[in-house]
Amino acid sequence: MKLTQAVKMALKSILGKKGRSFLTMLGIIIGIASVMTIVSVVSGQNQKMLDYYAAMGTNRITCYGGLYNGESMFEKVYAYCQSLDELVVGVTPEVQCGNNVRYGVKNTASMDWEDQPRVILGSSQYAVCNNFALAKGRDLTELDVEEYHRVCVLGARAARVLFDYTDPVGETLTVDGVPFTVLGVYREKDPDNSYSLDNVIILPYTAGRFLNAGMEWAEFTVKAKDAAAVPRVMALLRDYMNGLTQDGQTGYGDCYSTQQWQEQENEQTRMMSLVLGGIAGISLLVGGIGIMNIMLVTVTERTREIGIRRAIGAERSSIVLQFLVEAAMICGIGGILGIALGFLATQLAGKLILDGLSLLPDLRITLGAFGFSVVLGLLFGMYPAIKASGLPPVAALRAE
Amino acid sequence: MLIELRDVFKIYGEGLEREVRALDGVSLSIAAGEFVAIAGASGSGKSTLMNVLGCLDVPSYGDYLLAGRDVGELSDRQLSRIRSRKIGFIFQGYNLIPGLNALENVELPLIYQGVGVSRRRDMALAALERVGLAGRAKHRPAEMSGGQQQRVAIARAIAARPPILMADEPTGALDSKTGLEVLDFLRQLNREGSTVLLITHDNAIAATARRIIRLRDGRIVEDKRQEVDWL
Repeated sequence: MKLTQAVKMALKSILGKKGRSFLTMLGIIIGIASVMTIVSVVSGQNQKMLDYYAAMGTNRITCYGGLYNGESMFEKVYAYCQSLDELVVGVTPEVQCGNNVRYGVKNTASMDWEDQPRVILGSSQYAVCNNFALAKGRDLTELDVEEYHRVCVLGARAARVLFDYTDPVGETLTVDGVPFTVLGVYREKDPDNSYSLDNVIILPYTAGRFLNAGMEWAEFTVKAKDAAAVPRVMALLRDYMNGLTQDGQTGYGDCYSTQQWQEQENEQTRMMSLVLGGIAGISLLVGGIGIMNIMLVTVTERTREIGIRRAIGAERSSIVLQFLVEAAMICGIGGILGIALGFLATQLAGKLILDGLSLLPDLRITLGAFGFSVVLGLLFGMYPAIKASGLPPVAALRAE
Repeated sequence: MLIELRDVFKIYGEGLEREVRALDGVSLSIAAGEFVAIAGASGSGKSTLMNVLGCLDVPSYGDYLLAGRDVGELSDRQLSRIRSRKIGFIFQGYNLIPGLNALENVELPLIYQGVGVSRRRDMALAALERVGLAGRAKHRPAEMSGGQQQRVAIARAIAARPPILMADEPTGALDSKTGLEVLDFLRQLNREGSTVLLITHDNAIAATARRIIRLRDGRIVEDKRQEVDWL
């Protein structure tokens, strides 16, 4: 029998029993779609964490310390780090202060918590430490810091919240009643989070004196040039601070790196991937058993039909070819529908679970789930057909 | 001889206590163009005989020569060819495929013979026309009466114009009027040259055949020829 004939025959058979064909496909559809979605959500979550760290800035060392004689530990470290410019790219305090920001009729007191911009005191190296890039206007300079200029730079989201879509550069807003002129706006770097890293207003840290924030920065951030430089910079900083505090007698100080957190976080997501991958594997297996079962049953219950076909002259190979094509079509169509559903479900999960992250299913998982289902469907669709077509026609005819 | 059986046995559960000899040393020969009724009570082995004659089953012992060829020597492929080209079956339970309509059911043996699309459509329609069901070509078996289904089954059996027709209780599930129509039709096909084997437990139906082979417990107990008035 020619292949085209087998395809026609299989089509007639599938369309002749639409309900049964659809139910057979359903196992495949759900199996593939669920595996795709579960794995995508996990890897999306993982990616989101990594993106968040990248946006926050990597290779950061957080330092804290103070000197009992009232001198500024931060300014000494700041000065020291400027001499390490082959290892350190920037130093900045990151202190949140002020609680009420106004511009025109906009007033953060009447905003949702998520929308309220955070006011942060930083140095002229704040942007480089936090992976911000300027979108327009200019950044804080060392002069702004030294001269107590009442200026600020906005994160993209803060600019949107306060100024809608008008140009904020040159406008003046007030923080706790003190006016600050907007110098520039940073480019958006964290669009997927509701609690956005872009919802910030950066003031020169010396402006803290206008806001009753004091002038001593017990905690500040040092950004190393690359991951390899982090341990070396930490060692240098610890040495330097120990020297300043005479090993803790005249002050205190230490530093730690977010690298450790990231490694922990990576470890955790790896664990989660393993666990959820296991769940996905089990659901695929269960789906596979379902596919096996339904193919086995639907083809076995057609033993009589196989007998009829044999009795009126079908060769064994024609029967096997027909059932092979039929199983391939059901599994193929089911598989494609499953991929489509999995794709939609993945997108939906991205929107609903992961704050609108645009998720794409993993190609290997998709193809793996598809291949697994199709191979199982073929195997267990063919097996009973091969068995039934090998019987003497009269035995197959007797089957009920 | 078209059909020749030599000492054929079909034994189920051989050597066991519940051994059943469905055919117990049957020898017979049937010439081309005969109209033979194989009669016997239920369990007499007549269906087993038809299955063996129709190459649907293989005998346990003995030889079956069909048109001079020993069927026992043939491969599965050759047997399939014989079933599709030489023999048309009419089963008691119609044995139509429920998912296919009348025309598609009738086309099926032609498909397995490798007849081209348009020619096989013509042949299938012609066969349906002969049984008076051309208007029902697109109906599924479930949408037809028992008599109509049996006529579709006859159309399927004759579509490929096989030289031998085998009918297993073709009137069994029909009322007497439709049953007679089916018998008339078989006679007509016989007049046109087909060899017809009619299996029945009904003596009245068997009595209408030119030759009656009577079976009991797997053995031929009577083989008589008679003149009948076919009108």
